[in-house]
Amino acid sequence: MIPYSPFLCVITDEAYCPVTLAEQALKGGAAMIQLRHKTASGSQLFAWAVAIGKLCSEYHALFIINDRVDIALASKADGVHLGQDDLPAAAARKLLGNSRIIGVSASSLEEAVQAEKDGADYIGFGHIYPTVSKLKEHAPLGPDNLQKTVESLSLPVVAIGGITIENAPILISRGAAGVAVISAVSRAEVPSKAASELLSALQKSLP
Amino acid sequence: MPHNNRKGTPLPRIFMISSGEEQGEGRGELIEHLTLLPSHIPCIVQIREKHLHTKHLLTLAQRARGIRLPEGSLLLCNERADVALAAGLDGVHLPENAVPPDKLRAFAPDLIFGCSIHSPEALRIAEQAGADYLLFGPVFDTPSKRKYGPPQGLKKLGELCRASSLPIYALGGVTPQNAALCMDEGAYGTAGLSIFRDTSRMRETLEQLYSILNR
Repeated sequence: MIPYSPFLCVITDEAYCPVTLAEQALKGGAAMIQLRHKTASGSQLFAWAVAIGKLCSEYHALFIINDRVDIALASKADGVHLGQDDLPAAAARKLLGNSRIIGVSASSLEEAVQAEKDGADYIGFGHIYPTVSKLKEHAPLGPDNLQKTVESLSLPVVAIGGITIENAPILISRGAAGVAVISAVSRAEVPSKAASELLSALQKSLP
Repeated sequence: MPHNNRKGTPLPRIFMISSGEEQGEGRGELIEHLTLLPSHIPCIVQIREKHLHTKHLLTLAQRARGIRLPEGSLLLCNERADVALAAGLDGVHLPENAVPPDKLRAFAPDLIFGCSIHSPEALRIAEQAGADYLLFGPVFDTPSKRKYGPPQGLKKLGELCRASSLPIYALGGVTPQNAALCMDEGAYGTAGLSIFRDTSRMRETLEQLYSILNR
């Protein structure tokens, strides 16, 4: 279900139209799109989800939705991504069944281990580097903590937080299955080009 | 004539909305209010706590579900069908800008879905999407809704009630003193938030409303 590593997941940026951004990211080779928008209405999210889901199936990419299991079910998305304050993975699994993907954010090894126990399909681990996309309570985790988590889990670990074309390759060599980005793609002058350059950097850096 | 819900029992006439001030983990007044409901007065209770993280909303919904409510009562949460399913609630109340009920019913066939409406257009859309009931307001002046302009009024309530065969609850400044006016316009029942917040008067308010709405 999770793409062969190393892959690029692009998370939508609240400052831009998520459908436009998703299409640009897919053109650049993103294998996973995450719709994340904390302030949009349910009907708006649903409309975006249907549109992005269609694009993702055209590009043979996975489409997941942040937090909203209801919207994922209604729009037949491939899965959800759950933060620590969202529905617990075990509750989401009961609603989604085994064929859909559940990703869980973890910012420590303990949270990652718990998410694996709770039935997650992958871990979003971060933030690895300082990031401007979200205000963070803890210090960046860095590549060493990433590697320790990768080695302690059997699930794929996706690195997130402050990832750029310069620092992404080392994360793949430390065992990340992929990287997830917002601003590295959304804020680039040409998002599709930024995505494809990031992806080639990942693919050149297999351990 | 009472409308039956999907469980075959009549829809309650009284619709109680939570304060929006729950603190998460079930701390707040909702749980206390639920335990104070008189056992002979069935209510729809909507957990509407939009500020809570999903995890805390689920915990609150599970705690609320654990309380024995008057027979025939329905426990709903606002918008989130996933939380309703996970907590074993009876249904979901959808704001006008939510996912349409037919899209949610596809994966939650046993839940009751109601829709807030503020216009004849919204009423038609909600009907076509298979809503089980409608909530219309504000009918009367109410402090919490003043920022949205003047109330919609009884006349508009009546027009919508006559235009639909669905049960419509009147919301906004409805008290035992004016509830009968809503019923005269064809409302199925009345909804409120602030009138239920004073626990010392809650029972009396419910008793008065119950006798007016079930005349």
